[in-house]
Amino acid sequence: MTAVVAAIGRSGARRLSVLGGLARFVIRTAVAAGRLTRAGRWVTVRVLINQIRFTALQAIGLVTFLAAILSFLVISQTVRQLGRVGATDLIGTVIVVAVIRELGPLLTALIVVSRSGTAIAAEMATNRVLGEVTALEAMGIDPYIYLVLPRMLGATASVAALMIVFDAVALASGYFGAALSGMAFQRYVNIVLTTMSAKDVWLTLAKGVVFGGAVALFPSYHGLAVKAGPTEIPQAVTRGVVATIVAIFVSSAVFVVVAAG
Amino acid sequence: MSPALRARATAWLSQALSFGREGAPPLVYAGLDLRDRPDHPDRRFDLTVRQGTTVAVVGDEASGVGDLGAYALGLRQPISGRVEVFGAPVGAMQYYDLLLFRRRIGYHPLGDGLLQNLALRDNVALPLRFASDHRLAEVDGRVGELMDSFRLRSVATLRPAQANEEDRRRAALARAVALDPDLVVLEAPFDGLTGRAAQDILEKVSRRDDGSRRAVFVTAQDLVPSVRRLVDRVVKVVDGAAVEEAP
Repeated sequence: MTAVVAAIGRSGARRLSVLGGLARFVIRTAVAAGRLTRAGRWVTVRVLINQIRFTALQAIGLVTFLAAILSFLVISQTVRQLGRVGATDLIGTVIVVAVIRELGPLLTALIVVSRSGTAIAAEMATNRVLGEVTALEAMGIDPYIYLVLPRMLGATASVAALMIVFDAVALASGYFGAALSGMAFQRYVNIVLTTMSAKDVWLTLAKGVVFGGAVALFPSYHGLAVKAGPTEIPQAVTRGVVATIVAIFVSSAVFVVVAAG
Repeated sequence: MSPALRARATAWLSQALSFGREGAPPLVYAGLDLRDRPDHPDRRFDLTVRQGTTVAVVGDEASGVGDLGAYALGLRQPISGRVEVFGAPVGAMQYYDLLLFRRRIGYHPLGDGLLQNLALRDNVALPLRFASDHRLAEVDGRVGELMDSFRLRSVATLRPAQANEEDRRRAALARAVALDPDLVVLEAPFDGLTGRAAQDILEKVSRRDDGSRRAVFVTAQDLVPSVRRLVDRVVKVVDGAAVEEAP
């Protein structure tokens, strides 16, 4: 019995320690933002633009494709089923609540995690293993300024922007799904506009910021936590990506609770 | 370096200078336990590097020589004893103070410490961009000077993995002196270089931009005779203590 309690305690302490580490990580990144030098600001902007290019621009094709397919499938099937009970007006609720508010942000964040979260974790872990983080510190450069800050900002801006792209494509593609069951364009637009509120727009943007932050935070944290050597790099990537996915789903649930309140 | 750029660098470094003590020697090791002979704990390492001198400490891999550079930068703490840089006890400094303080010290880590995803030119520019308050145009001008001075112009756009060992070493040393520091700490900077290249590099590193000599602290397993001639003091670590050798 004692052994069981000890094991639970150890596991809980480990998780609390990770949470504390994450909190320190966020604070250090925020402090780093305030310590940027004049030239450093310009270079960070350049790195940020590059980050957005890799994270957002290069992912637009995939996000557009998946948004179109998902929305088309969901709406075409839903309109057909709702038509049988004469409730096609509920299609607005389906597209706004299910696709725009929940699935869109989730899928977008998962796409970015799979493309950029893995890259961030691997890059940070490699920086650590090659001694580049120590080299930065030895030069008097805060590694959080050079490595973490541009990725946090880049991932946040990219995920928020990609969510807007996802939603726009999903709305357009949803129409084609609805049109298959004979719904007129004007009616589709009216139903969607009636159902959608300003709250949905703010929720989507807030999710973009939170999910984007998570996409950079967890892979960076686990990447920089590598100590022993190259064999730890794949483990750090796995830990970073899994933690990000869990965080995205948990925060998505928190958003539901907050939005309902 | 132009007068305007020098004035800006001085103003920026004044914050870092405030940590030290005026007139204090650039680097002091006192009573360090290098763990060479744990059965003789009374053998301690003491060494003072004076302003404008080049001091080399040699010793085999197990002697603890390899840790001296990291101690000076505050990257590692010695088991016992103290390290003072410009009169400031490095071990007692907080993380952000240390970051600021290190801008007074040029450092060439073991290997070269270059960032693999940056071109040699961008590696040299790193401390100027992120550890100084220069404008971008000033940074570009200073980097251009360093690339010429260290004969890196033709390989400026290569990544470290594409460059040969000598060019990588030159880039790492150019980066170490980019902020024209008062003290330069070099860990095994001449490994794999010809005597002539080593001599050329050491001559460049030991001169400040105004022509005066800076304090240079070199750690290595051994030094070739042509480099020894350029060094003011050579100290060998024997059983954890410093023993003077003829330069």
